[in-house]
Amino acid sequence: MFAEAEIGPIARDIDREARFPWEVVEKMRSLDLFGMQAPKVFGGADMDSISYAIVIEEISRVSAAVGLCLVIHNSICLHPINRWGTDEQKKRFLPEMVRGEKIGAFCMTEAGIGSDVGGVETSATPEGNDYILNGTKIFVTNGGICGTTLVFATTDYQNPRRGATMFIVERETPGFIVGEIEDLCGMRANPVSSIYLENCRVPAKNVLGQPGEGVRIGMESLNVGRIGIAAQAMGIAQAAFDDSVLYSKERQQFKKPIASFQTIRNYLADMATDIDAGRLLLYRACAALDSGSSVREEAAMAKLYCSEMAMRVAHKAVQIHGGYGYSKEYAVERYFRDAKVTELYEGTSEVQRMIISREVLAKRV
Amino acid sequence: MLKLVVCIKQVPQVSDLPWDPDTGRLKRELAAGMMNPACRFALEAALKIRDKIGARITAITMGPPSAEEVLREAIALGADRGLLISDRKMAGSDTYTTSLTLARAIQKNIPEFDLILCGAATNDSGTAQVGPQLAEELDIPGIAYVNDLEIVGNKARVRRLEDDFIETMEMELPGLATINTGGAVPRYVSMRGFQAAFAESDIVMLDAVSLGLNQDWIGAKGSATQMRNVSSPMAGRENVVLTGTTKGILDQLFMLFDDRIGGVIGKDLKTDKR
Repeated sequence: MFAEAEIGPIARDIDREARFPWEVVEKMRSLDLFGMQAPKVFGGADMDSISYAIVIEEISRVSAAVGLCLVIHNSICLHPINRWGTDEQKKRFLPEMVRGEKIGAFCMTEAGIGSDVGGVETSATPEGNDYILNGTKIFVTNGGICGTTLVFATTDYQNPRRGATMFIVERETPGFIVGEIEDLCGMRANPVSSIYLENCRVPAKNVLGQPGEGVRIGMESLNVGRIGIAAQAMGIAQAAFDDSVLYSKERQQFKKPIASFQTIRNYLADMATDIDAGRLLLYRACAALDSGSSVREEAAMAKLYCSEMAMRVAHKAVQIHGGYGYSKEYAVERYFRDAKVTELYEGTSEVQRMIISREVLAKRV
Repeated sequence: MLKLVVCIKQVPQVSDLPWDPDTGRLKRELAAGMMNPACRFALEAALKIRDKIGARITAITMGPPSAEEVLREAIALGADRGLLISDRKMAGSDTYTTSLTLARAIQKNIPEFDLILCGAATNDSGTAQVGPQLAEELDIPGIAYVNDLEIVGNKARVRRLEDDFIETMEMELPGLATINTGGAVPRYVSMRGFQAAFAESDIVMLDAVSLGLNQDWIGAKGSATQMRNVSSPMAGRENVVLTGTTKGILDQLFMLFDDRIGGVIGKDLKTDKR
């Protein structure tokens, strides 16, 4: 109800204008959407993961770019701080994040490292009680609006993986510079940007976990983030499907609604089945996460399937809409553009297959 | 502490009512339920009072077991507890037996209430009768179609828009007000509210026996009015082609449709010089 009433009327415009809707943030704050799974002591709602996934899907159904903002904030910035942070760090960072006064971001990708995080080039040089960060992060989702970020850097230039460390860095820190907003194909309402770190001095007490634990923390954070991305893909697929059902009942050809033709019916049946299969995989990953078990495989499967499913469904949705589907007059072209990136970020489909196959092979000696 | 009672009703979601085109009847089993819009405004009015001066809010509904959903929603929005009156023997209740049943439930469960708030009307039947009848049944003052209200001492000061006038009235408590959909915009459910609504079992179930209601007084049996038939008013569409000079077409247009055009632009075209 909230998403349709408050985000629905502007979803198309914010995409077209590549504008982040701050006016909606204000409303989302009062609904605890910036602290969905954060503990109650910090003002969060302490929701289970299935409820979280449902909220992300519902918001992404209306605007995937706004859904993306919440996934990154909740799943891969706030969640890791809550999981690995010291009591002092939690007290210092979580309340502002939960209230949505500081929006989270996750700075991992660099020009030279995407899937291969062990090759991190951003350096963290110890100096007294501080670290000096230098390097360039790219494709930082929420980059243009972030307040609190996690930055992945290494203290060991010879063996970057061994020295990889996760830092909590606030936007006001001198030397933390937000670069230009990327001009992307989809998710245009989210200000994805580069982040430049130029002699950015971060106190040692801002290290998340232990120095050298960066890869483990990063990878486990992404496991959780993938569940959020799967939920986001679900929302895009559901929107594309809903629009297709409506359109196929209304659109007349040969003096009949196109929904009366077997080909269109087959498309709709396949889309509906695909969506349900994805949702079940997603909920299984959520349940596994809440039970405390490792979700590496479940999250990768959910993310792989839901993102490719969203692409298949959006593709069919454009096809059902015909020429109109290729027009900006209808929303399905936006779903199509938005769906594509879910196959790319938080690990490409190829990386998900790598993770799944590794798990599958390891279990069968 | 101030004790507020909010009466809410679950109604079918009007945006996509599944009408059966052959029989013209509503396929109720397919209709998703929602909280009646005016009831949302009544609850919001209660929450506003609670936010300002503190209050304990009891939401009460009468309906099939599925009506528990709107009580959960009320709790998610901030109500403290819910009363669900549900009994097959109450099926077919008209507004008279409904207000009788509600009155008995309130007398038994919240006898020391200060203010009862109801939606002014429901959008599935729209009689606007249950609120005023409930005030009569409880022998308390009642004001219908209220836009907003505040508590001043032992009185409720209410404002309502009637025609082009804003009326301000005061009413001794305990009293009852029915709330229009024109007042403070109802809030959305927060995530913490969601958690609260499902974490606690603060809904009390009531039936005819527990309320001490004789079977002859309630449901279809006790009702003074009977529903004979429900059907969808199938709107007819016709294309009318007007021909002639521009002035001629305009004259014909106004002659044929002056009342409808006048309704849209808010002018009486029969008396206005055009």
